[in-house]
Amino acid sequence: MSEIASKIKSIHWQRMMFILLMVIMVAGVESCKSTGKMSKKERKAQIENAKRQLQPIINGTSTLSYDEQKRIVGQIMDKNLNDPILNDMIIQAQQKLKTLLAEQTQAKALKIDLARAALYDLLLNKDNKSADEMEMELNAIKRQNLGDTEIDELIARVEKKIQDMRAGGGSSLPVKAQLENAFTTIANSAKTGNLSQAESTIQKTLQYFSSDDVPVLIIISREGSIVDYDKPTTIKRYLQFLKDTKSSKNDIDAIMTDNNGKIKGLDLIKR
Amino acid sequence: MRKILSLIILASLFAVSNRVAAQDNLSPQRKQAIDSLALEKVRDLSKYISIIGDKKTPWSDAQRVIERAVELFMENSEIGVSSLSRQDVNYYKVREYFDRLMQLNYDRVTIDWYKIQYVSDLVRQPDGTYVGVITIYQRFQAYDKEKGLVYEDTTKKDITVYVKRKETQIGGRLIGFWDVMLGDIRVKETSK
Repeated sequence: MSEIASKIKSIHWQRMMFILLMVIMVAGVESCKSTGKMSKKERKAQIENAKRQLQPIINGTSTLSYDEQKRIVGQIMDKNLNDPILNDMIIQAQQKLKTLLAEQTQAKALKIDLARAALYDLLLNKDNKSADEMEMELNAIKRQNLGDTEIDELIARVEKKIQDMRAGGGSSLPVKAQLENAFTTIANSAKTGNLSQAESTIQKTLQYFSSDDVPVLIIISREGSIVDYDKPTTIKRYLQFLKDTKSSKNDIDAIMTDNNGKIKGLDLIKR
Repeated sequence: MRKILSLIILASLFAVSNRVAAQDNLSPQRKQAIDSLALEKVRDLSKYISIIGDKKTPWSDAQRVIERAVELFMENSEIGVSSLSRQDVNYYKVREYFDRLMQLNYDRVTIDWYKIQYVSDLVRQPDGTYVGVITIYQRFQAYDKEKGLVYEDTTKKDITVYVKRKETQIGGRLIGFWDVMLGDIRVKETSK
């Protein structure tokens, strides 16, 4: 036992540690060399794999999202496999991704346009929808998550409108009905001699319109594709006309609105 | 290529003939709509005349209504004015007539038009204008603050109306409209 102990003591531990360290370092460098240096076989396999990944992107048949496809192309580029066919395929894939992005941007813009139009319709409530019906339509638009500030703003306005409708607020009537009521009020107020009431209704009604000069067309006859109109007028003149003639004889045929939800054109039709 | 050309020519011819038809061959319904439109303009004028003659109408309103009334007439049209106290009929240019009407020297004036109807139907002229005559009866009553009703008469008047189809672009839309213009208003008879 004491013999073993004396042998252990006789070992030069510092030298032993140095040798061990050197062995580890050499082994480490060797192992690095084996990973960094790709065999021809491995490189070929990686090129083939990259081509397989790129092909559906080039063909436009990939089921992956645009971001995932972009990441794949990026990873392949990073590998720097330096194969002429693969390089060509990378360029093709990049071009395809560019087109895809443009298409997606266009599709989103279209979705935003449609949503905007639908939201303005809801704000005007031309079809006299109930609060529940409006909410259903609004939710469908919200589910699209369009991430557009203008759309978000319109959504907030429609939500407020629905809230007002449920609270029984005066603005629950669709614009068409509000306009028709205003026309009747102006004519009847003038008829009963209440000209100040007629004038105040004119001023309130003008606020629905983008300007006092919004064109008003009055259809006097419609036969197939032939439409006959009275001489075009403007909204201010038309409202004053209702006051002067003390009667409202036209129905609303169509309301055209601008991006701010204001009326930019009004078509009336003789009763 | 020839086929395409012939198709284009046919389509153009169809479009042109359609537009011509829109003006020339008026269906009874369309003609009726134009007849009513012209009558409506005369009724509008009657309401404007009442407002202008009404002493309670604020000056600014009367001026605005005079503008609207003048716009109903063709340029240089004249309106006849008669009186039970004289045989002659005086004719005034439209604007002058309305200005005089506004300044009539009575405390209260009422003017009503009634029996507004065609005496001569709208007939198409070679230039495409439809011309007709509408007759009206005007009841005029003038009051004095102290004496009450001081003058009244009933006048039958004939109004020539001109209706022409025109086109204009509004918001990118081509609009075909009927422009109704009133001509002279001639006094036919005046009675108490």
